[in-house]
Amino acid sequence: MVRRGLGGLVGIATVLLDDGLAAGRQGWLGRVDARAKLLGLLSVLVATTFLRNLGPLALCLGAAWALAWFGGLDMRRVALALLAVPAFTLALAAPAAFNVVTAGTPLVVLCHLGGGHWGPWRVPEFLTVTDRGLFVAARFALRSAACVSLASVLAAATRPQDLFKGLRGLGVPAAFVMVAAMMTRYLDLLLRSAEEIHLAKLSRSLGGVGVAREQAWAAAGMGELYRRSRTVAESVAEAMVSRGYTGEVHTLRQGRWSWQDGTFVAGCLAFGAALLALG
Amino acid sequence: MDKVFDFRGVSFAYPGREPSLREATFEVAGGERLAILGANGSGKSTLLHLMDGLYFAQSGEVRAFGQRLTPESVERPPFGPLFRRRAGFLFQNSDAQLFCPSVEEELAFGPLQMGWKEEEILRRVGDTLGLLGIAHLRDRPPHGLSSGEKKKVALASLLILSPVVLLLDEPTAGLDPRSQGILLELLDDLHGMGGLTLVTATHDLELLPHISDRVLVLGEDHRIAADLPTERALGDTGLLLSVNLIHAHRHRHGAMVHSHPHQHTRTHDHAHGEGKDHLH
Ligand SMILES: Nc1ncnc2c1ncn2[C@@H]1O[C@H](COP(=O)(O)OP(=O)(O)OP(=O)(O)O)[C@@H](O)[C@H]1O
Ligand SMILES: [Mg+2]
Repeated sequence: MVRRGLGGLVGIATVLLDDGLAAGRQGWLGRVDARAKLLGLLSVLVATTFLRNLGPLALCLGAAWALAWFGGLDMRRVALALLAVPAFTLALAAPAAFNVVTAGTPLVVLCHLGGGHWGPWRVPEFLTVTDRGLFVAARFALRSAACVSLASVLAAATRPQDLFKGLRGLGVPAAFVMVAAMMTRYLDLLLRSAEEIHLAKLSRSLGGVGVAREQAWAAAGMGELYRRSRTVAESVAEAMVSRGYTGEVHTLRQGRWSWQDGTFVAGCLAFGAALLALG
Repeated sequence: MDKVFDFRGVSFAYPGREPSLREATFEVAGGERLAILGANGSGKSTLLHLMDGLYFAQSGEVRAFGQRLTPESVERPPFGPLFRRRAGFLFQNSDAQLFCPSVEEELAFGPLQMGWKEEEILRRVGDTLGLLGIAHLRDRPPHGLSSGEKKKVALASLLILSPVVLLLDEPTAGLDPRSQGILLELLDDLHGMGGLTLVTATHDLELLPHISDRVLVLGEDHRIAADLPTERALGDTGLLLSVNLIHAHRHRHGAMVHSHPHQHTRTHDHAHGEGKDHLH
């Protein structure tokens, strides 16, 4: 159990982190300045959270896909995030469709529940899908899908290192960006040590181990992981001091904006405003 | 600047621990190639940290470039920044040393802290990457590199500052023979070109002749057991045995089992009672 969880976690992190290698400067979207992409896509994303109607939400989702397609991104990598995450949000949103969660006019009667009370809750006569419930569920699913799509377009079109640079360029304090960058930088190392510790323990046992043993191991492993990450953190601090760090971070200045970057941001802002106007 | 380092009776203990270094006294001259040799846990890394002004002597005195190293002196300009620029430390763990999101920023980190001009920095980044033959890695994030590439990037991040001294902690550990060879050649070139002072911590006897002319041997009691030319250190089996760098090696020839001090670095002849000579 622990092993499967870790393996999955390592897998996800590896995909996330390795994005940086593949997402070179492919397609015109890849070449847009990271600051422009951050600013533009984030403003559309914020607009999305205010939308109340299905139409504009669907439009936004479509726009994100179109941007990925015409922006020349590797569709397989985008699709991975685009498909996996909406499927998950659909599962979360689905319960809202039923009358048990959202009251409204019944559309479909699913089964007979028999009414009465179950603990503190009143159980309705029938389990139905309500019109209002369906709308709430659809809106939730659409909004999540749109947000996730926008975020994954940003992630697929920008290497993490440029994303951090972009954040700095937008006025986020350098020290804050450095901490965020280091967290992703060492997440990979941390997960790999976690897996190593677990495999090392596994390799010392033959055959299966009981659940209790495995849980005890997980706890011991956490302790070891903490010690290892402390040691790495100390060494990182020393390595920084050794190269002249005195408590204030100095970083490279940013490149200039091109007219394409400006156009991209203007386009995004206009689109976001249009969405808000539609409601 | 003939004396780069001057240690006088230096002791150091980690909080709540027995001392990891006891009364170390030695000097390092400019342009010298010194190896610090010792078994695991003998205090090699600790000694390098003291030389780099990351730890400070609890008794005794450490001087670098004629100045005493204290927590204050390594921060105060003009000596502090100058010292940081002149001394480069290659950590045992490259992952700890490479903390920036991209190789370019990694190299730029030191110069930026020194307040160099940006155009100058970007030019030097290109030059330094070219020198190490890793210009193609410029935009890569360090975590995705192989260990050999990480070592080179870490070294590049030091060389960009044109250091006078390089402190190398197990520089070839984890590298394949070819990468090891490349690194050793590079260090040799750097030493030959600019009279760089090299201090290398290692327990690898095979490496010694390539990286040092003089050896400081650390015993397991955390004291300096010997300070002598590399040639003599390698020939002194008694010394190497006493600091547990070689072990009595037991093996079998036909029906006979015997043991003798054994060094895995060179072939040697020896004879048994029955007069059967052989070679290892
Ligand atoms: N951060 C620390 N906290 C406490 N004790 C430490 C720390 N680092 C090292 N020590 C102890 O100090 C002693 C010397 O360690 P050091 O790392 O200097 O040895 P080393 O010669 O570099 O060993 P290795 O060949 O394994 O790298 C060891 O006994 C070690 O346990
Ligand atoms: Mg060490």
